Amino acid sequence: MSGKTILYVEDNEYNLKMVRQLLAHTSYRLIEATDGEMGVATALGETPDLILMDIQLPKLSGLDATRRLRADPKTADVPIVVITSFALSGDDQKAKDAGASAYLSKPYSPRELLQMIRNLVPEN
Amino acid sequence: MPHQEVTEPDGTLALASTPGWEERIARFLLTRTHVGSLVRWVASIKASVHAKLFSGYMLVTLLFLAMGGMSLQTIAKMSAQSQLLDQVHERVHWSQEIQHALALQMNFTAMALLLRDEATIANILRENNRFNNTLARLEEFARPEERELIQRIRAAQELALTTVADIANLVRDGRVDAAMTLQLNKEYPLYLQIEGLVDQVVKREQQKMDSLRGSVAATNRRSLIIMAGFVASSIALAALLGFVISWSFILPVQEAHGFVTQVAKGNFEATINVPNRDEFGALADRMNQMSRELRTLYAKQQEAARELQSLNERLQQASKAKSDFLANMSHELRTPMNAILGFVEMVLDGIYGEVPPDLKEPLTDIQTNGKHLLRLINDVLDLSKIEAGRMELALAEYSVQDVVDTVRASLQSLALEKGLGFTAAAQDDIPVAFGDGKRITQCLVNLVGNALKFSKRGNVAVWVEQQGDNLLYRVSDTGIGIPQNELENIFGEFQQVDTAITREFSGTGLGLNITKKFVEMHGGRIWVESELGKGSTFFFLIPLRVNHGGAI
Repeated sequence: MSGKTILYVEDNEYNLKMVRQLLAHTSYRLIEATDGEMGVATALGETPDLILMDIQLPKLSGLDATRRLRADPKTADVPIVVITSFALSGDDQKAKDAGASAYLSKPYSPRELLQMIRNLVPEN
Repeated sequence: MPHQEVTEPDGTLALASTPGWEERIARFLLTRTHVGSLVRWVASIKASVHAKLFSGYMLVTLLFLAMGGMSLQTIAKMSAQSQLLDQVHERVHWSQEIQHALALQMNFTAMALLLRDEATIANILRENNRFNNTLARLEEFARPEERELIQRIRAAQELALTTVADIANLVRDGRVDAAMTLQLNKEYPLYLQIEGLVDQVVKREQQKMDSLRGSVAATNRRSLIIMAGFVASSIALAALLGFVISWSFILPVQEAHGFVTQVAKGNFEATINVPNRDEFGALADRMNQMSRELRTLYAKQQEAARELQSLNERLQQASKAKSDFLANMSHELRTPMNAILGFVEMVLDGIYGEVPPDLKEPLTDIQTNGKHLLRLINDVLDLSKIEAGRMELALAEYSVQDVVDTVRASLQSLALEKGLGFTAAAQDDIPVAFGDGKRITQCLVNLVGNALKFSKRGNVAVWVEQQGDNLLYRVSDTGIGIPQNELENIFGEFQQVDTAITREFSGTGLGLNITKKFVEMHGGRIWVESELGKGSTFFFLIPLRVNHGGAI
């Protein structure tokens, strides 16, 4: 059986490792990107079932990357969860405006993240 | 800064917005005739306004005095002439009387011849006397050429009288024919001669009277002309002086008006230039001095404004930098916190296998302290955002019941752990509220967190009710209470009642300050009632529906 593919765009290796280990016991397949441009390239190349997008990334911000993916027909319908840091109020609104399907604020509970993933793309 | 309240074509003249005919005449006289230079000359006379006005009035008054003098002189001359006229009139009368007496003499002589009566002869003598008396009067004031004529009349009259005497003697003697011959041949021609001479006198006197009458009429005419001339020149002089003197005052006033208008518009380069060397000149000097002073002040103010502008720009840059720093820092701090709390949760959730029982407690301690650290980070960041003016409320509709439920759900376990009673409820008919529900929840969590922290026994209660257009939130505890003298300071930054308590209860002291600021951003207020050792009750009152964006 081939599980659903999830792309996590995040530059912090510990957070990547955490989500990798969180999903290791599930049927989801995790692919990773560590900056905005790489995230866009990977998403367009692999067309994942779900994208987790950190808001603050090197090279290209999470919001700009989201906008680019929304503009491309290949990824226009892929659910994108933007992970915000509530630095300034209005981040939620900015994420929605950029085309995010949902947002999650840091620090998030791995339990809640898994629940959100399951709601958006149910496991087979 | 320059406002367009007064709009005038040249900004210097025109006190009235549309010049009337008087204004236009004045303008013509001032610009096209020598009156203009006269006005400037009067203005430049170094004398006070009072002296100029006084001199003007005095000039007109002197003219009137001169006119009065002339009139008196004319009146005197006219009265002398009329006296002369009276005299001449009288002399004409006398000469006519002489004529009359002469005629009667002739008449009585003729009667004496007919009646031969002594009484009639006496009548002749009487008329003769009257003739002589009147002639003497006439002679008294006669001119030399007339006197000669009168001498001749007298000589002829004496001859005539001798002849009458002869005639009378002849009549008495009864020689009427001889008397009649004498009368016809001698007396009658004599009388004709006398009559001719008297006629000459009468004619002369009448001529004199006529010429006198003519000169009286000429004097009358002349005096009328002189009077009219005086009146006309008085009016002209008064008008000219009035115009010149008044315009020598009006011009500087108009100049000043234009100048003040310019200054009011913010043109401090304007100067006032008047020829006056009177009070108006002094005033103009002071105005120029004021203008210079204003110019200096304006330059200084501009300089200060430029400095402020540049300072403001630098401050804005600093504020932007601070804001950017906060955004980065917030993310940078949360990213490792995310890993720490996430891994602990996953360990405790058994993702890495069964947790050995003796590791559960230290792992939970890590989680508790990690969450506490996160709260502190959040508080510090919130406060920094508020201080930077970057905190904005996310206004939306929210349910008060939801807020209360969230607070209960997140702090129930803490109350249970400490063995404290905890109730959180709201009046059940509160309508949907409008504001930042998350921040209100945060405020309530802060207050309840403090209440739980400072209470060792008893209970903590949350109650929300509607009061008109406002919501009253109340958090009461049975904790240690706050001393009366600390009640005002409690909402300040980094304030805890004393450092010993800080050590015992821990905390940053930021919660109440942040809560106060959020309440104020909602347009509300917060206060506390407390009794030392018995507990405290915190209240905050905010509008049910906030109607402004509210940044502080």
